[in-house]
Amino acid sequence: MNVKYINPFISATINTFKGFLGADLKTEKPSLFDSNKSEIRYDISGIIGLAGEVRGAVVISFPKLVALKIVSDFLKEDIKIFGEDVIDTVGELVNIIAGNAKRDMEEFRIVISLPSVVKGPNHQISWMQGVPVILIPFKSNYGPVYLFVSLKDII
Amino acid sequence: MKILVVDDSRIMRNVLKNILKEKQIDENAILEAGNGVEALEMLKNNEVDLILLDWNMPKLNGIELVKIVRNHERLKEIPIIMVTSEAARYNVMEAIKAGVTDYIIKPIRGEIVHKKLEELLGQ
Ligand SMILES: [Mg+2]
Repeated sequence: MNVKYINPFISATINTFKGFLGADLKTEKPSLFDSNKSEIRYDISGIIGLAGEVRGAVVISFPKLVALKIVSDFLKEDIKIFGEDVIDTVGELVNIIAGNAKRDMEEFRIVISLPSVVKGPNHQISWMQGVPVILIPFKSNYGPVYLFVSLKDII
Repeated sequence: MKILVVDDSRIMRNVLKNILKEKQIDENAILEAGNGVEALEMLKNNEVDLILLDWNMPKLNGIELVKIVRNHERLKEIPIIMVTSEAARYNVMEAIKAGVTDYIIKPIRGEIVHKKLEELLGQ
């Protein structure tokens, strides 16, 4: 695994949580993600497609309760409904992570897509065929945060 | 005075609105749009003194809007602060070339926005 191109996404995620929420994330060991074998649980994902000189995707996923805690903290309001506010915030979080990661990959010209957000217990994400997906788990005060990075040809 | 806040994320628009209100900017002086098309509509119907503009939005994105505004006789002088997650230098250069007045990278800090407001509006 070539971690060189994982690091920009890890730093961007840490910085985004720090800047967005003042929260500290602790990075755990990255691994190759296999949706059939993985035991992680998540209920919402923010997805950004990457195009241009690097193709792939970056995804941030959370269990429902973690997402609700994050959004409540961000909006300084107790959010109980797993609805529009959560979708909006998760979409914007992944947008900021992807945009910030580009700063450390300037040797490639990358265009990021608009975020899309998917909900549902362990929903499937349509990854690019034959391209490895790296899972980077983080620990936070909210609970687990999962970052997935899949980049064609360079990792 | 009117400030137009353009972002497809309602949450982000609220964050920006709160930052503006901290600067004693009246709620009624803040206009909102969720994409470039809505922003153009707002600009047509209002005298706007400053635009805070996201880059990545559906329908008409921030850069496309900057180009339209800069080529529009009545609108071309309006200061535009791009407020975006796009952190790569080539993006900043592209935005400057398109005619943005200033550039703020998300995640945003209130103090940074306040400082830019002081520079541009003298308040
Ligand atoms: Mg946006």
